[in-house]
Amino acid sequence: MAAPLRPMSNLAPRLLLAGRPATRPTRTTLLQHHHHHERRTAATPQARTHSTTSSVSASELTHFSALASSWWDPMGPSRILHLMNPLRHEFIASCLADSSPSPSSPAKADLHYLDIGCGGGIFAESLARTIPTDPDAAAPTPTRAASMTAIDPSTNLIQIARDHARMDPAVDAHLRSGKFKYLNTTLEDVLATTPSSSTSSPSSPLSPSPSAPTASPKQYDMVTLFEVLEHIDPQTSTPLTFLTNCLRALKPGGWLIGSTISRTLPSFLLNQVVAEAPWPIGVVPRGTHEWSKFVNPPEVRAWLQEGLMRGGDGVAGRGGQGLLEGMQWRCVGAVYVPGFGWKMVPGSEDWGNYFWAVRKGV
Amino acid sequence: MRLASRALRPYICPSCRHGAGSRRFKSQLAQSPDIYDVVCVGGGPAGLGLVAALRNVHQKTFKLGRASPITSNLRIALVESQDLQKARSWGLEPTKFSNRVSSLTPSSVSFLRSIGAWEHLDTDRVQNYQEMQVWDGVSGSRISFDWSMETSPFEDKPSVATMTENANLVRGLLARIAASGDENLSVFENMTVASIENGSDHLPDGPDLSAWPVLSVAPTGSAASTKPASRIAARLLVGADGINSPVRSFADIPTHGWDYNRHGVVATLALAEPDVPPFPASMRTAYQRFLPALGGPIALLPLPNNHATLVWSTTPEHAAYLKSLSAPAFLAMVNAAFRLSMTDLKYMMGIDRATSAEQTSPHEDELSWRLQHTPLPSQIPPTAIGLQQGTVASFPLRFRHAAQYVSPRIALVGDAAHVIHPLAGQGLNLGLADVASLSRTIQYAVSHGMDIGDLLTLDHYASERYLPNAKIGGTCDLLHKMYNVPGNGPVTWARSLGLDVINRLPFVKSFLMKNAEG
Repeated sequence: MAAPLRPMSNLAPRLLLAGRPATRPTRTTLLQHHHHHERRTAATPQARTHSTTSSVSASELTHFSALASSWWDPMGPSRILHLMNPLRHEFIASCLADSSPSPSSPAKADLHYLDIGCGGGIFAESLARTIPTDPDAAAPTPTRAASMTAIDPSTNLIQIARDHARMDPAVDAHLRSGKFKYLNTTLEDVLATTPSSSTSSPSSPLSPSPSAPTASPKQYDMVTLFEVLEHIDPQTSTPLTFLTNCLRALKPGGWLIGSTISRTLPSFLLNQVVAEAPWPIGVVPRGTHEWSKFVNPPEVRAWLQEGLMRGGDGVAGRGGQGLLEGMQWRCVGAVYVPGFGWKMVPGSEDWGNYFWAVRKGV
Repeated sequence: MRLASRALRPYICPSCRHGAGSRRFKSQLAQSPDIYDVVCVGGGPAGLGLVAALRNVHQKTFKLGRASPITSNLRIALVESQDLQKARSWGLEPTKFSNRVSSLTPSSVSFLRSIGAWEHLDTDRVQNYQEMQVWDGVSGSRISFDWSMETSPFEDKPSVATMTENANLVRGLLARIAASGDENLSVFENMTVASIENGSDHLPDGPDLSAWPVLSVAPTGSAASTKPASRIAARLLVGADGINSPVRSFADIPTHGWDYNRHGVVATLALAEPDVPPFPASMRTAYQRFLPALGGPIALLPLPNNHATLVWSTTPEHAAYLKSLSAPAFLAMVNAAFRLSMTDLKYMMGIDRATSAEQTSPHEDELSWRLQHTPLPSQIPPTAIGLQQGTVASFPLRFRHAAQYVSPRIALVGDAAHVIHPLAGQGLNLGLADVASLSRTIQYAVSHGMDIGDLLTLDHYASERYLPNAKIGGTCDLLHKMYNVPGNGPVTWARSLGLDVINRLPFVKSFLMKNAEG
């Protein structure tokens, strides 16, 4: 299985000019050639574990690849995602403040992040920018990043992310030192990578737990999953399977943090009717979202509880209720007001976009 | 040159020798410029204010976070073509004042306090004023600004504004920056920007700087031939480089605007003791009278020890005439401008200069004779009795507004972004407000992992400042135009009605003052 992609938002003039595509398959056929290519390149390099099913919907992959060239254009179709990015940092900061309340001494930048479905790297690059050059220095931001591994199944998007990262000398330095990594891979392959294979790339600073570099699979202090859940292919995967895998990549005491869109009447009107409307009303390229794939906060929470109970290694039968102890759950809605930008509004979870987080018990 | 430096080699300390020798590696340097987060071109009040603010941000950076000097880790370069050493060691005796004086609004002062700069100013040389009298020289309509309707009569009136010599402010900002240490800060003084171009993506094992501005900074004057040029790359290049901003030219940002065909005549004056002592004793007043027949207002703004600074906006011809007058004649013209009718003033602007044989200038005679026949309003300033030598100067008045304040990796602040008519004394305040906004924007960006040179970051600064600056610049322009209609016509009637009405409606006045305060 592979991690799904990050969504796109805002206008795609190309798609709009072509008129309203009547159905998603229309576009899929148009880009059929592309999409086969994408799948192959995305899957082949990590084929050693032969994950046959993919949580990535093929049409999703082509949709976002088609938008790739304008991914980093601040005025382009991804503008609304760029604008949301600072809120992600604030939400992470609020989670960390929750789990480690006001330390007396300045906190170290000691958290290792995994960003799943990083797309063109909007979040991953911004977090990498906060990694201090001196690992012993106090963390410059409350997100306390020590390293960032960002993965995406789209070769195209990973290349765009890498190219963009080179344009910032500070981020480029982290890429070269290995504190920041873009991997064209899937979550399933990251999990399947055994510790022995990680020693084959000794430059990796991402030794999951520096104190115990042996038997356990790769685990991270923070796993992020922004605008990914609503893009999972229901034919080949389920959010439950996918979230269970995300939790396996998480260290005990770590946070799995994401954002997605709820499946309610207001969100249908906002996201499908208004946001994807033709210019000048719409702010999201048509075909970005499929309302039926949206997920509600109680569903996410239930899947996460189920995922935690399935146990750290994903093998059913181990774990159970005991693993829910120490679990913390947070959820807050985010609202986009044209002209003012994104704002976190507690209680607005049902209107559409929301952030959620779960902390794995220690 | 080469020969000379070789001959001098034994007498040059090793570090200087290194500097001279590095010229030979120019081609290598050209490929990898020194990388800075913020390069600020221009060491005036706005540029220095930005640097001081960035090195002193100890505010809450996250809603839930701790206090953190988050922007103090930024690598900052300041480029200034003047010798800052002169500015650092500036000083005048207590009864002498520079003729370049600005009126700081309370919000500018609180910004300077918040960045720790205010305590580095010589506060014996600054003067608050609590009241402002503004009147129309044609109709006599008057408006007085103070905060009395906001406060009880028993407490001290808050300041309308604070007069500060620009040199005092610049020296204070430099002292504040010096106190922040020199870690992460490079000051390129006596250096000009020789060129700005985009960087390159030459080195496969280096970052791609093709979208980064790279400056070539060369020494000015006598140092030009001995010191090498430096190449510095900017994550964010700030143009605080004045009306003819090279940074703005590099960014290809057009400006629109016009010249007013007016000059501002400035001077430092000594005033007579006021007829009625102020109450309370610390109370000071600024005066401004609109003189439609002479092309603009005359303003007298208080300085310590019964001194005042003059700003008289008038036509270039009148400005040249005023500058040619002897001190007594100049003072007579200033006193006349606050007291006499438009007709009298126009006549006095044309009198032949005094001949050296006479004891008193004809201007003084005219003034004393005409005063006997002129009813005086209650709000006139004390008589100007002394002119500080060498302080009469003039500068052209212009209006400029850049089409935008930001472009990728570029931000314009202060005069590089906007130049306005000085009749409300807002120019420097707008520049400081720009800098306050830009430093907050940078602080937010750093704390949220944003690239401080990215348009997504800079948009916030531009949207916060563009409209307020346009509004204040436009208001000053409108006032200028309204008060250049001479005689008793509908415009005079309308503007006088406007002033009278505003003066009688406390809530409107309070609203205007709060807006002007910014």
